[in-house]
Amino acid sequence: MMFRALFLGFLLLFSNGCHKKAPEIVIGTAGPMTGDQSKQGGDIVNGVRLAVDEWNEKGGIGGIKIRLEVGDDQHDPKQAVSVANKMVNLGIVGMVGHFNSSASIPASSVYHSAGVPMITPGSTNPRLTDQGFKTVFRVCGRDDQQGKVAAQFAVQSFQAKRIAILHDKTTYGQGLAEEFQKAVLSFNVGAEIVSFDGITQGDKDFRSILTTLKGKNPDLFFFGGIFPEGGVLVKQAKEMGMTAPMISGDGVFDPKFIEIAGPAAEGTFLTFAPDPENIPSAKGFLQRYKAKHGNELAPYAIYAYDATNILLTALSQVGGHGMRDGKKVSEAIRNLKYDGALGRTEFDAKGDVKISPYIVWITEGGKFKEHWNPVKG
Amino acid sequence: MLLQQLVNGLTLGSVYALIALGYTMVYGILEMINFAHGEIYMIGSYLCIIFLGVFTGLGLTESHLLLSLCLSGILSAVTCAGIGVTMERIAYRPIRSAHRLSPLISALGVSIFLQNFVMLTQGSSDKVVPHLFSAQAVQFAAFPITPIQLSIISAAILLMAGLHLFVQKTRLGMAMRAVAQDKMMASLCGIPIDRVIMVTFIIGSALAAVAGVMVSIYYGVTHFTIGYVAGIKAFTAAVLGGIGSIPGAMLGGILLGLTESLGAAYVSSEFKDGFAFIILIAILIFRPTGLLGKRT
Repeated sequence: MMFRALFLGFLLLFSNGCHKKAPEIVIGTAGPMTGDQSKQGGDIVNGVRLAVDEWNEKGGIGGIKIRLEVGDDQHDPKQAVSVANKMVNLGIVGMVGHFNSSASIPASSVYHSAGVPMITPGSTNPRLTDQGFKTVFRVCGRDDQQGKVAAQFAVQSFQAKRIAILHDKTTYGQGLAEEFQKAVLSFNVGAEIVSFDGITQGDKDFRSILTTLKGKNPDLFFFGGIFPEGGVLVKQAKEMGMTAPMISGDGVFDPKFIEIAGPAAEGTFLTFAPDPENIPSAKGFLQRYKAKHGNELAPYAIYAYDATNILLTALSQVGGHGMRDGKKVSEAIRNLKYDGALGRTEFDAKGDVKISPYIVWITEGGKFKEHWNPVKG
Repeated sequence: MLLQQLVNGLTLGSVYALIALGYTMVYGILEMINFAHGEIYMIGSYLCIIFLGVFTGLGLTESHLLLSLCLSGILSAVTCAGIGVTMERIAYRPIRSAHRLSPLISALGVSIFLQNFVMLTQGSSDKVVPHLFSAQAVQFAAFPITPIQLSIISAAILLMAGLHLFVQKTRLGMAMRAVAQDKMMASLCGIPIDRVIMVTFIIGSALAAVAGVMVSIYYGVTHFTIGYVAGIKAFTAAVLGGIGSIPGAMLGGILLGLTESLGAAYVSSEFKDGFAFIILIAILIFRPTGLLGKRT
């Protein structure tokens, strides 16, 4: 008996010794890495990795290297929850992600109950931070802000009188469409919502609904959704002789939208943050990013980069064993006044950014251009 | 407006009908549902983009747009016919005499394989058809039909009429009908069953490929997952018309396309995909043999 206990003791000692690796800090990122939105997922990973590499070159946090774990949620809510559980089991101390609101919201409760802080670079649905989780943040805007800017543009600058609304039935798309509708009605300038209807994500034929829309004779139509459907929508709308331009949100803001729609993309309005090329503080980031990944537009990389830097700065402020304490790290994130590539970022009590960044862009000559600013007009 | 929706529905219906023919012909002869059939349609749409790209590279598209389109279509159909025959040879023929469930499972396997093969070789994002046509619709006086819609509908009608004549009037068509009625008896009469089945797969796959080619031009994009939903809808069309019946598949496809289009327009576009399945359930409950199916 004695001998056996000793033996077991040795075994334990030995196995402990075996498992000892160099200490490291693990953070995670997740988004749609495969599927039709894999471009966004890849951009986000590139942005996060750039930040992590820069921190590691400077020696990590307190001499400890940072390791990045990447998860693929395929913009599927179920997959997002399973990725979140996997990430928690891997022992991450912070998450930069997810991308789609429909993935971020279910994943956020997993991270929250595990006490892991989460900063999303692109999920704009209000519900994400309205859940009251103290560990959830976003560096992008909210759809109620975005919908309001789109509505303000529609009724004040474009002076639309008859507006049709379409959405893709996802958390993000339908949420944004509803916020837009609410805002249009709240301006109360006599603009009429002539229809509000949904399409199916992944569908490629929208001619029946577009025919109905055309019959209602709108002078502007709003789409809450992502670029694969957005591109096909404007293309088929123009083919059917619809003259009303489309206005949509950040989900459509991608070069693939112009590739799919071709010449039909011209004149489409999109709400998005101002061009990083015009932000002085983004210059260094853009140079380093383009040196690695080329000149192709990667709208969300800069958000992922800043989100990662915010997370790592907060972790380094807390330091030591406190890094495992999600509450402490979240507190540090909330108190941070971070000057990054996007300029100054500060969070409010909910975890949203204090300043809403949205402006209206237009597609012209096969490129996105800044068009209208709600402040300057 | 109603007229426009009817045209939309008719176009969609022609596509469903072309795919449904493949389901129904294979079922008529082998009594198996070839669930990989939707993938042939998907591959057809990809091949069209690839061939169009090649012809554009050769400069043919610029000088002879129509010729380049037709050649792309024919080449896609031929390639898909080859894929269909290979599929039958590898995945179905060895287990033809096995339990009824085996070929069904084999078909699902082929479907998963083809989908993933296309995803890995062609990438997982949307593939865009080169923008060849002006975006504006051409209206024939008061009749709102675009040239693409017109060519889809007329090509579908021509192909279906051709198929009908082939099955009714030629020796090979007669052989097909004989095999469908009784395989054993047909082989005793000296009909080469294997060859007849091969021809069935060639025709079915080529028709699906033509549907895929026309759809990729019509929609402007394609994706490796489109075969799944289209396959299920075409299957619904085949069941609606009476599985095993060729005129039934044509009728079922057109009816389904019209229902979807009018439903999306006048009920709600949110439930567009739902209409197909409501029809499938209703048919299975009230008339399991379909509209034109034989009551056995």
